[in-house]
Amino acid sequence: MSTAPQAIDIDQEKGNFQMPEEHTFDAGVGLSEGVIDYISDVKNEDQWIRDFRKKALKTFNAKALPTHWASKDLEAIDFDKIRYYLASGQKPKRSWDDVPDDIKETFDRLGIPENERKFLAGVEAQFDSEAAYSNIKEAVGKQGVIFMGSTEGLKKHPEIFRKWFGKVIPTGDNKFSALNSATFSGGSFIYIPPGVKVSHPLQAYFRINAENFGQFERTLIIADEGSEVTYMEGCTAPKFDTATLHSAVVELVALKGAKIEYITVQNWSANVFNLVTKRAIAEEEATVKWIDCNIGSRLTMKYPGVILKGRKARGEVLSIALANDGQHQDTGAKMIHAADETTSNIIAKSISVGEGRSTYRGMVHMPKHLKGCKNNTECDALLINKNSRTDTYPAITVRGNKNSVQHEASVSKVSAEQIFYMQQRGLTEGEAMSLSVNGFVNDLTRQFPMEYSVELKRLIDMEMEGSVG
Amino acid sequence: MSQLEIKNLNVSIGEKPILNDFSLTVPKGEVHAIMGPNGTGKSTLGKALAGHPDYTVSSGEALLDGLSLLDLEPDEISRAGLFMAFQYPNEIPGVSIANFIRAAVQARLDEGENLVATEYYKDLYHQMDLLKIDRKFTSRSVNEGFSGGEKKRCEILQMAMLKPSYAILDETDSGLDIDALKIVSDGVNKLRGENLGILLITHYQRLLEYIVPDKVHVMWDGRIVKSGDKDLALELESNGYDWIKELAPANA
Amino acid sequence: MPTRKNEEWRFANINSFTLDGYDFVLPEKAIGSQELAEKSDVISNPSGQIIFADNKPILQDVDNDLKTKGVIWEPLSEALKHHSDILKDYFMAQNLHLGSEKFAALHSAFISDGYLLYVPKGLVIDRPFIANHWAVSDKAAIFPHTLVIAEESSTVTLIDTFNAKLPTQENFICAFSHFLAGANATINHRAFQNWGTKTLGIHINAATTGKDATVNSLGVNLGCQHLRSEHQSLLQGDGSHIEMLSLCVANNDQELDQRTLQSHRAAHTTSNLLYKNALMDKSKTIFSGLIKVAEEAQQTDAYQTNRNLLLSTTAEANALPGLEIKADDVKCSHGATTGQIDEDQLFYMLARGIDPHKARELLVFGFFEEIISKIGDNELADYIRELIQTKFQHM
Repeated sequence: MSTAPQAIDIDQEKGNFQMPEEHTFDAGVGLSEGVIDYISDVKNEDQWIRDFRKKALKTFNAKALPTHWASKDLEAIDFDKIRYYLASGQKPKRSWDDVPDDIKETFDRLGIPENERKFLAGVEAQFDSEAAYSNIKEAVGKQGVIFMGSTEGLKKHPEIFRKWFGKVIPTGDNKFSALNSATFSGGSFIYIPPGVKVSHPLQAYFRINAENFGQFERTLIIADEGSEVTYMEGCTAPKFDTATLHSAVVELVALKGAKIEYITVQNWSANVFNLVTKRAIAEEEATVKWIDCNIGSRLTMKYPGVILKGRKARGEVLSIALANDGQHQDTGAKMIHAADETTSNIIAKSISVGEGRSTYRGMVHMPKHLKGCKNNTECDALLINKNSRTDTYPAITVRGNKNSVQHEASVSKVSAEQIFYMQQRGLTEGEAMSLSVNGFVNDLTRQFPMEYSVELKRLIDMEMEGSVG
Repeated sequence: MSQLEIKNLNVSIGEKPILNDFSLTVPKGEVHAIMGPNGTGKSTLGKALAGHPDYTVSSGEALLDGLSLLDLEPDEISRAGLFMAFQYPNEIPGVSIANFIRAAVQARLDEGENLVATEYYKDLYHQMDLLKIDRKFTSRSVNEGFSGGEKKRCEILQMAMLKPSYAILDETDSGLDIDALKIVSDGVNKLRGENLGILLITHYQRLLEYIVPDKVHVMWDGRIVKSGDKDLALELESNGYDWIKELAPANA
Repeated sequence: MPTRKNEEWRFANINSFTLDGYDFVLPEKAIGSQELAEKSDVISNPSGQIIFADNKPILQDVDNDLKTKGVIWEPLSEALKHHSDILKDYFMAQNLHLGSEKFAALHSAFISDGYLLYVPKGLVIDRPFIANHWAVSDKAAIFPHTLVIAEESSTVTLIDTFNAKLPTQENFICAFSHFLAGANATINHRAFQNWGTKTLGIHINAATTGKDATVNSLGVNLGCQHLRSEHQSLLQGDGSHIEMLSLCVANNDQELDQRTLQSHRAAHTTSNLLYKNALMDKSKTIFSGLIKVAEEAQQTDAYQTNRNLLLSTTAEANALPGLEIKADDVKCSHGATTGQIDEDQLFYMLARGIDPHKARELLVFGFFEEIISKIGDNELADYIRELIQTKFQHM
């Protein structure tokens, strides 16, 4: 036991500090074509990107908020009061020594450089709109692996970037993907050459430091034929009184036989609207696995998806959501089967504490004339208090008689008898509650990399403190 | 003062009184058995002492080596040294036996003190061997999908690991076949000694052949109506519980 | 008209929803009563029977003994004269939650008749009542209406059959059924829908339970080109129970759009839903079910299961099983499966010399037997098997 490496320190208290704002570039408050031009000018972008952004802005303006099915809380976002681009104007550094002191201190306090030394193959650290640090281990770089900020990637590898950019998630997919397409900055660009198996994870760390700010990172990961990669992301922000917006677009492409594992531990502070679009394309015999843990934020809307495009492709989503007082975790998964013998698996577990609300939304689609496709979905909800809430809204479409889908959902609570039993063995009520909740998610977290399951357990322990009664 | 002392305890569930002026003293180092027909309040006694929230104590005292238990939370009672082996142990999905007992052992250490994993496992495996529990068991969820015998052995394993000063064994024998009963009794007998007081709650005399008590008490209608040595159990066996019912008014 | 953007109409093919070309005003004279009466003989010795042809009652009958005990079993046109006090309180008095509010309004506007079944306190009636609704004229718009009120501790069973005179008939149907079970009362409702194959049908069902009341419903859906079936159950009284069973065989380009609500609004309530669909050809089903548990509905057990059996390469099954839980002490689960006939089972049958069509039919019957066996009435169970059999024969 207990040989696990030190946890990645991203608990909310540890993230709750702010450095003074020193931005060379500030696009100001509100969103307009002028803001788009400002961003494009600062980044010195090609005309096609500028056009792409402007078109996206029109799409964003034209689309209504999806409040006819999603939470009305979205209306609390005032798009005119948000700052859309804040940057120091410096290029990402390859060495922590070159990173400006206050930013370096931020990431030191979050333990990023330490983790990099211990178990990561590469790290990118984003501060507000741009990456402050980006580096991969030499040996990994020599294999031809590209890992850099997407601003940099767009400049240095346009031939790969442009081919896939916006192809998995079109601009108009939803209002927030359009917003990201108009204002995107930062995020990771990763390319793994054919046959290369990156043995240690690549990590990105997203930090929001500024108030009234919107972070719109754009991540694109391409795993070429037969390659393998694990990518992990973490995120924190200080607790502000005002709403902060995080709206990322993440596109993954797993070519024939490739494997991508994408792990998120989302721990934004409770003022952050986290509205993220994540989707992958899996070609023949490729596998994409999303591990998605949502602990923080005020409202998260996120449904990682896999388009199973090639024969025998496999998609997986393992999702854990913990909604505490004042939080709404609206999460789920999408599996679009588009080739024969594709399989998908969704396991979603949510915990609602206090007045927290967790919602599962799922979509499984198997169009006509496919055969041998299988989906299995399990969603389990655990309710801790009398006024906790949980919802489940799956949508399953199956055509043809050669495929099968199975969906199961259950709701349970931590029983008083169970807590008493554990108390009789000397555990406090809070410890007993934590143990029950960890037991509830245990079969899932077992499948996570050790660093993350340890971290997750610690976060759950913290969230469950004082949750009883 | 080294004794579990219960004085004039009155306990009810909701409006319904179950224990009536119940008194009993179990000195440390002794094994006492409480026998009696179903519904006389035997299990209530155990749960009330363990601090179960459904049971209301209206008056009386319960002292563990002089420490009053009645104002304590269930976990404080446990850490004070009272162990309860439940008649129907709860299932805790997803929590392995090893982690569960470990958390309970850790809870007994001082703040800042950490359990030494190697010693913990050494002790755990040793106790499991004594109880003939397969080591694979440690990774199974607590009581989930266990047979009756497995559950009871798991309770005794926890008792062995938590090293209480007093233990209440609530119908630990019920539902066990003779082989399982022997294993469980052996386990209890190994823990028996001057540092442990045991209260056996049972319906059947059979258990007392394997765990020989120092004293036997007969319970009826929420109180002890007769006490004696181990021969009382045999007397009860031959005369049946109806005999007690006749005794009851005289002692009331 | 609703649009697909509305969640309550997700996946539905709204384009076929046009009311043009239907006759909303029908001729006065009753048609073919003798023939229809013979075809309406579903069960022996009913407690009462009413037959409607194009909205008009053409036959009515009730057990006199029950009548003297206070049972009301009559067409709305008559009940309006004798029991307007009851109708005033209950007629269309139910708020609807599943999307067809507009059609309910249409129903109110055009309804010309229907029936009232009122069972007084404490009366337990063994034999079922039966109402047969016939669409006789092609293109006729039909508005069947059912209002059942079971007073405290009463028990009653009711059968509705919905048929077209000609199997290929084209009609517009907008039916509304409302069940009110008083304290400790039990209502059993069985509905057999077999409208013409070109029919656009909207069937709205609403049930409300008092304390410790039970409403058991079973729907068998075979007819219509496009059917929208809504079934909302409001568990209002503590300790009440609802059972919702449905089976459907869809073929050709039939679309069956089923929306259900199990709304738990009181403590210790239980509900159990099982919807089974067998799909052939290019047919399509939608099952959209929601279990809602209010904060005050503690100790609730709610279950919802949808099983779809796809029997062709072009059939489509959509499942939207939903949960909204605001109480913590609940047992809730839902499950949805969509699959096909087990190839091994099929092969086993073929190896015994059974032809593929018959083998599939047998397996479909096996699929439905779970529901049919729950009815506990052999006569009705046989009737259902026969209905399904007939549909198979015409494929």
